[in-house]
Amino acid sequence: MVGILNTVINLLTAAGIGAGAAFLIYRGGRRSVTRRAVAALSGVVLGAASLWGVIAVEKLETTARGVVVSIAASALIFIAANKLFDLTPDRWSVFTTLMGGGGAFLVYAMLWGNRAIDDPVLRTAAATLIGAAAGYLLGTVDGKRARLAIGTGAGAALGALAASGMRRVILIFEREEGPLELWPVLPNLDYGVLIGLTLAGAALGLLSRLVRRRRTALVRPVILWASVGFFIGAWCLPTLGTGTKAEALAAAIVTGAGFGAVLGLKPIPDAQHRGRIEVASRAYIFLLPALGFIAATLIVPTLRTLFLSFHDTHGREFVGGINYRDIFTSSNIFDAAGWPGIFTSRLFIAGAALVLIGLLAAVLAGRRSGYLMSLSPGTAGAAGLGVFLVATAAFAALRGTVFNNLWWVFTVTIIATAAGLAIAVLADRAKWESLAKSLIFMPMAISFVGAGVIWRFMYLARDVSKPQTGVLNTLWVGIGNLSLSRGPGFFLTVIVILAAAALLVRLAVRAWRADERTVGVGAAVCALPLIWFAFALWRGIGGFEVRDNGDVVASTIQFVQRSPFNNVWLMLVLIWIQTGFTMVIFSAAIKAVPADLLEAAEVDGASESQTFWRVVIPQIAPTIGVVVTTLIVLVMKVFDIVKVMTNGNFDTQVIANEMWQRAFTELNFGLGSALAVVLFAAVLPILYLNIRRMQKAAA
Amino acid sequence: MARKPIRICTLFAALALMASACGGEETTVTPQTVVVTSVVTVTETSIITETVTETVTETVEVEVEKENPLAGKTVTVFGPESSDTEAGAHQAALDIFAAQNDMTIVYTGERSFSDLINAQAAGGNPPDIAVFPQPGKIADFAREGWLLPIPSDVQETMDDNIGAAWNAFGNVDGVQYAIPTKADLKSLVWYRPADFTANGYAVPTTWADLKSLSQQMIDDGNTPWCIGIESGGATGWAFTDWVEDLTLRYQGADFYDQWVDHSIPFNTPEMNGIWNEILALWNTPGAVYAEGGTISSTFFGDNGRPLVEGDCMMHRQASFFSAFFPEDTSFGPDGVDVFYFPSVEGDRPVLGAGTLVSAFRDAPEVWAVMEYYATPEYADNRQRFQNLAQGGGAVLSGFLSPNTNADLDLYQPLEQSFLDILFTAEVVRFDGSDLMPAAVGAGSFWTEATSAVNGDKTVEEATQAIEDSWP
Repeated sequence: MVGILNTVINLLTAAGIGAGAAFLIYRGGRRSVTRRAVAALSGVVLGAASLWGVIAVEKLETTARGVVVSIAASALIFIAANKLFDLTPDRWSVFTTLMGGGGAFLVYAMLWGNRAIDDPVLRTAAATLIGAAAGYLLGTVDGKRARLAIGTGAGAALGALAASGMRRVILIFEREEGPLELWPVLPNLDYGVLIGLTLAGAALGLLSRLVRRRRTALVRPVILWASVGFFIGAWCLPTLGTGTKAEALAAAIVTGAGFGAVLGLKPIPDAQHRGRIEVASRAYIFLLPALGFIAATLIVPTLRTLFLSFHDTHGREFVGGINYRDIFTSSNIFDAAGWPGIFTSRLFIAGAALVLIGLLAAVLAGRRSGYLMSLSPGTAGAAGLGVFLVATAAFAALRGTVFNNLWWVFTVTIIATAAGLAIAVLADRAKWESLAKSLIFMPMAISFVGAGVIWRFMYLARDVSKPQTGVLNTLWVGIGNLSLSRGPGFFLTVIVILAAAALLVRLAVRAWRADERTVGVGAAVCALPLIWFAFALWRGIGGFEVRDNGDVVASTIQFVQRSPFNNVWLMLVLIWIQTGFTMVIFSAAIKAVPADLLEAAEVDGASESQTFWRVVIPQIAPTIGVVVTTLIVLVMKVFDIVKVMTNGNFDTQVIANEMWQRAFTELNFGLGSALAVVLFAAVLPILYLNIRRMQKAAA
Repeated sequence: MARKPIRICTLFAALALMASACGGEETTVTPQTVVVTSVVTVTETSIITETVTETVTETVEVEVEKENPLAGKTVTVFGPESSDTEAGAHQAALDIFAAQNDMTIVYTGERSFSDLINAQAAGGNPPDIAVFPQPGKIADFAREGWLLPIPSDVQETMDDNIGAAWNAFGNVDGVQYAIPTKADLKSLVWYRPADFTANGYAVPTTWADLKSLSQQMIDDGNTPWCIGIESGGATGWAFTDWVEDLTLRYQGADFYDQWVDHSIPFNTPEMNGIWNEILALWNTPGAVYAEGGTISSTFFGDNGRPLVEGDCMMHRQASFFSAFFPEDTSFGPDGVDVFYFPSVEGDRPVLGAGTLVSAFRDAPEVWAVMEYYATPEYADNRQRFQNLAQGGGAVLSGFLSPNTNADLDLYQPLEQSFLDILFTAEVVRFDGSDLMPAAVGAGSFWTEATSAVNGDKTVEEATQAIEDSWP
């Protein structure tokens, strides 16, 4: 039987894949005989291949079965639910009959499945009949008293039916032949609590109605909420299993009668109301499975994490905010002791100088135009770069997990956004645009773990006595050898570099004369490092070291081990991945800038750079906002790269990995959860901003 | 009452009988005691009414009618041994038992075992059996209620085969949770006798000798040490072994025990002195060949090849390290040999370690495998396969069994001497970091050691951080 089912499912899977592929190919373009033949052939080949795969690989068969069965089951539930609610406008009594029978069946099936009742088949059948009969009567009988009697009676009958056959304990098998576990069922009623909860429920119902200022039909909500209170008091709170059958009977009958009375008090809805029910039900039918999923996989774990973060290492005793205090007092997580070092670092001095120069130039330019200061791309760029350097100096001096994380967010977000934007602009309408973009986008296809492993090899260093195998250290040591050699290769390199620099200088002079000031300055700035490099090569640069005795030995860079800038080398991996993402988004946004705007700018005599800064950038500002917030959220949660490349050693710890280590390496669930909550709280506002921006962009 | 489920159960039993009849094999129906035992415990401990007892007894009858209790069952084992040699031999030894009983045993080895087992156990998804390299972790897990105590019949087998000193490492608060399956001798230095004779070096017998030998090698232009402490999520443990070995040597066994159970703080001047002593030796210019550029980025297993190729003269690592040498390495006076990591006072203490298995699932097949781990059959099968995996014949397998009834003929003379040292040395101590609570022994001790070795922290800062992290 199972074998036949498996075969059917395998065939279905294979046929589905094959037919899907054939359909896609067939629909892809002009329909011709060749295309039809190609489609049919690929469909057959792909179908056969998947059939072979599903049969040959054991896990695939299980997966295929799971997929087919769950898709079929969900489809059936969806279709049945929709069909059921199709009945509401015209055949109300049929609808109520089915709902009554189905509802009673579901409740009893649950009891049956948990082995809580005796003679489950008989009882479930009886309950289904009672439910269906009550549903039919409630759907047809009009009299108020009669309806109330029907509802209450049916509810009480269902309760009595369940309680009369209720077992004292249920057996739960943990796993196949695992330890036996017993769950007692019969409730041991605590009347004080029971009455209290019932009254509280009634009060809640009353209150809800009064708040909504609808004084009509007060009775129904009161009974409903009182029944809910009673149900919780009777079945959810007391120590189950030590009660008697009489108590179970009382508890079940009252609960059933209460809920039944609520249903009975509701009059038969008129045609308009039925229509509304039909419309509203669709939303719930489609939402409920998704909401259930989110609740089970997102909301419950979040609440549990919050709970754990206020408890001790095992999640048993409440300890208040100690875990949160520990985060900010541990020197590994939060260490600001190095702050005086910020102001003496070379980075800080260079950055501060750049900021000053940029602002000074802006003020000077502002005098000419009559403003306090006038920021041009050049001066703003210099000031921005200065701020970036100052911030980097600050992050390099402040150590610990929290600052590392902030450093990641700052650097990766800014550089990935800027680089993506630059590439999108420069590649726009250029030759080979799509090829270049595909190449830059490609790292997006590599997982973070894979990228971490790849870059570990890039950064690899070996003992200095051996030839280097890591790409970057090979280059570094190679440059050192070249610099020392003074052979023909050395002179050739110097000449090539100087020639390139000369070309750039020529470009700068020309652009300056043509009044393209920005391009001129840019070219000149680019020429500087080339000249410096040629000079440095002459003086000696690269991976070598001269010992005291005159021996020259190789010297490698410990990219991943040398704190604090090893953090930057790790960030580079994420920048490498994410630049492709930002580039694609920006590229699309730039292409969406209306052509008439650009033409208008051209007619007005705006230069390329003016068009970019004053037309394109304002147009794509919402996109920049979305990209930046998306990146911030992503970088805040960075884990895989650090885990693979350093595992948080060498001062590269980030919050997500710290959380993993505390919770799962050291089994300190309290501190681990507290870190998770901190991370969550930090991400939340940005996520909110992001969603709002996206909604705006969509609107 | 409760007739329906029983009918269904009997139906299944009938089906099972029919299936076995179709198979055409005549198998004797053996009553199974394990399930009955668990019923007895249930009856004793729970709030039981007669209904329950009735239901349970009936279920048991169905269970009993199954023919071979182990046939068709699957047991999963998860452990830290992940190299082809070790994991392969482990799996092969289990496969023999599996074949004998027509069952399936799957061993999975993972370098980041100590991280992953935490996540698995805490997440309620543990393997059936885990191979723990750390008794400290067994204690943590047992106190969390995640591990199952070993049933008395399995414990009898264990007591018959394995010495009480080793079994004590699997005992938590008086209850036995784990069975020792592997023993390692840690106080060893690997070297090549040919290199020593060629340069005229003598095997050092005291710590001072070792230090001066190291200096002499540097002066001669040789590199004395191969050192690397990288090991995935467990990076740093190789340094902790040095600390433990030297603590035993400088401060003695009593101090060591108190240090391990934290009656002496972690950051005493004595301990800081030992850290400084090691780092001074390691940081001497020219003292270390680090395959990965620096000590902290060199995988600990990558030190075998450089030693064989003469990049360095010595490598201090446990007996299992023979599995990390290149495949065709010969051991003994003509190839790679070991000498005892010298003592300071001449008392020759020994640092040992090992693995223990513990169970997460209460099922007959799991206990059958656990019992197999305690038998000399497992020890001998494992040794035979690991020897073969290393090339067979006169090679060191890297495996030593704590099983006193294991067949000594399967071991090379060098390995026999390891076993002899382990079982007869006057002062033998288990690897200290493995005994400490996970937050230290698998956490801060490793990470702070890495920080200190990498120069990110001073010794004082590192030991203070470890002391602060003690739970």
